[in-house]
This record gives sequence, C-alpha cells and structure tokens, in this order.
Amino acid sequence: MSKFIIQVNGPAYGTSASINALRFTQAALASGHQVICVFFYQDGVYNSTDLSLPASDENDVISDWKQLAQSNQVPLVNCVSAALRRGIVGEQDAHDNGLSHWNVGKSFIMGGLGELITGIESADRLISF
Amino acid sequence: MKKLCILFRCSPHGCVRGREGLDLALLSASFEQEVSLVFVDEGVLHLIKDQQPELIGAKDYISTFKALPLYDIESVLVCKQSLTDYGLSHGLLSIPVTIVNDETIAIHLNSVDEVLVF
Amino acid sequence: MILHHIQTSPSRDSALKLCLRYACKEDSILLSSDGVNALLLRQWTMALSPFKLMVLRDDVIARGLTERFKNVSLIDYNEFVVQSLRHNKVITW
Repeated sequence: MSKFIIQVNGPAYGTSASINALRFTQAALASGHQVICVFFYQDGVYNSTDLSLPASDENDVISDWKQLAQSNQVPLVNCVSAALRRGIVGEQDAHDNGLSHWNVGKSFIMGGLGELITGIESADRLISF
Repeated sequence: MKKLCILFRCSPHGCVRGREGLDLALLSASFEQEVSLVFVDEGVLHLIKDQQPELIGAKDYISTFKALPLYDIESVLVCKQSLTDYGLSHGLLSIPVTIVNDETIAIHLNSVDEVLVF
Repeated sequence: MILHHIQTSPSRDSALKLCLRYACKEDSILLSSDGVNALLLRQWTMALSPFKLMVLRDDVIARGLTERFKNVSLIDYNEFVVQSLRHNKVITW
C-alpha cells in the first residue's frame, strides 16, 4: 500500500482537471492505497463552493468529491488564502470579516499551504491535476 | 524533509500562477523542506529587474524573490535557452541565479523528490 | 525515471514542448484530457517517438479518436496509479 497526496489546481467547471483528479483518487483508493489528503490550490478552490448548481443531467464533480471524502475518510483541504481571494469563503472566515454569507460547507477544511507541504512530506507520491 | 522543486514556466502578472508558486516555495522553505526554484520558458520573465506590477493593479510579488536567501533557498536555476529565446542577459536579472543548460535541468528534475509546476 | 503528465493541448499551452525539452530517454509521457490531441499532429508524434508513451483511454474514446490511436498504449486510471508508483515521480506540466 502506498500513500498519495492529490493536488487539484483546476476548477469544478471549465476544465477536466478536477474530474480527472477525482477518477485518479477513486482508482487509488479502489486499488487499496491511502490518500492522505486532496489539496485544492489555485483555481482548484472553486471545487469547494456549495453554491454550484449543475443541470440535473450533468456531472456534479463537487458532489462526487464530497461523497468520496465521506465514504473513504479522505480530507478535502482548501488553501484558505487562495480561496478567500477568489470569493470562496467558509463560515468562520465570513464571521471574521463581517460577511453575512459564505459558500464553503463542512465537507471542505479551510487549511493552509502547510498542510500541502506536510502531506507531501509524508506521502510516497504527489499527483497534481 | 523532502527536496521540492518549484518550476516557474508561466509569465508574471497576466495570471497568478507565479505568485502562488512563490508562496508555496517560501512556505515550503519555512517548513524546513529543501527547496529549489527552476525558471523556464516565459517563467524567466519573473527575473527581469525594475518591474512595476502595481501600475497594472497587480501585487509586487516580484520583489519578494530578493528574500530567497533569507529563506535559505539557494538553488535557483534558470534555463539558458529560455533566456536566449527572450533576449535576456545576466545583467537584466534582478537576483543572483545559476544559468544552466537543458541537460542540467533534466538532471535536477530527476534529483528532487517532487516537482510542482507553476 | 519520471512520468511526465500532460493534460493540455500543445496548440494552447507549452506544457508538452517543455516536457520534451527536459525529459530523459528513460522517462515516460502520459497524455490526458486535451493533451491527447498532440497525437493528431505529425510534429508531435515525431517528437514523442523516442519516449515510452501512454494515453488515458477514456479521453481517447470520449473524443472519438479510438481508431486513430490504434497503435498507442491506452491505459485506464488503475494503470495510471500503477505507473505513478513505478516511476520515481510524476510531474504534471
């Protein structure tokens, strides 16, 4: 069994980076490997919005990430500074900054780049998308 | 401790990849990783001195490259061919770098644990 | 031994060009997403010919290119996982 850390740099809608990362993560888990964390950086943080509404006959990659995280206990971690700059805001960040709305629910952790770095340190492989 | 190589291949200011690459490089160094930087293709434009990004509403993260020694980031490799392609000579660069050929970059990419491309 | 991962078209992005510039002969190259389009253009098939080449099967089938890529090694995500461990690292350009 090997340990992976997955980095997602592309948004949920617009490029295939996120869906490809999801499929790799599913395959790694199905093959018996461990995924320490899925880290969302750059435009990847757009995967963490709760306010995306794809049409009912379309793929919902955000919901697939949440389901994968829940059934496999894989943490989904956002880079908080990359997120806040892009209008991706958690409840605590909203309170701290006097905002009345937020769009990141409990499925995603607002973490820091430090979590990517410690994840890379303990993983056998970093795979970026 | 791992050997992390942050590779810059996109130009500054038009997109934020370079800025987010530098953020990761500095934080990796402060997390005691052995960090090296490689500049190739349009990424070499980060190294031009006297840039004024504020003029176009961008943050001046370029000047932060001068702080690399404070973070103990000593390995800064720049692709000789890319400098030639973009007409840049050593004297036009803002920080001390090691100018290397393609083969040296290939060897370096092999020698580190992970490479993150920005 | 590196697995170079290209997920963008060479017509839009320099990822493939740079990967080829810095790849060693024992490295492998994996094309996914629009990266597979490179194999439709002769200049890139020539440039890729010295390397062990893999292409993500779903991306080929999705684009209707299966017939065109009959002689190419098509892999699924399980094999992508295996190859990522068989190589020393994966660089996504």
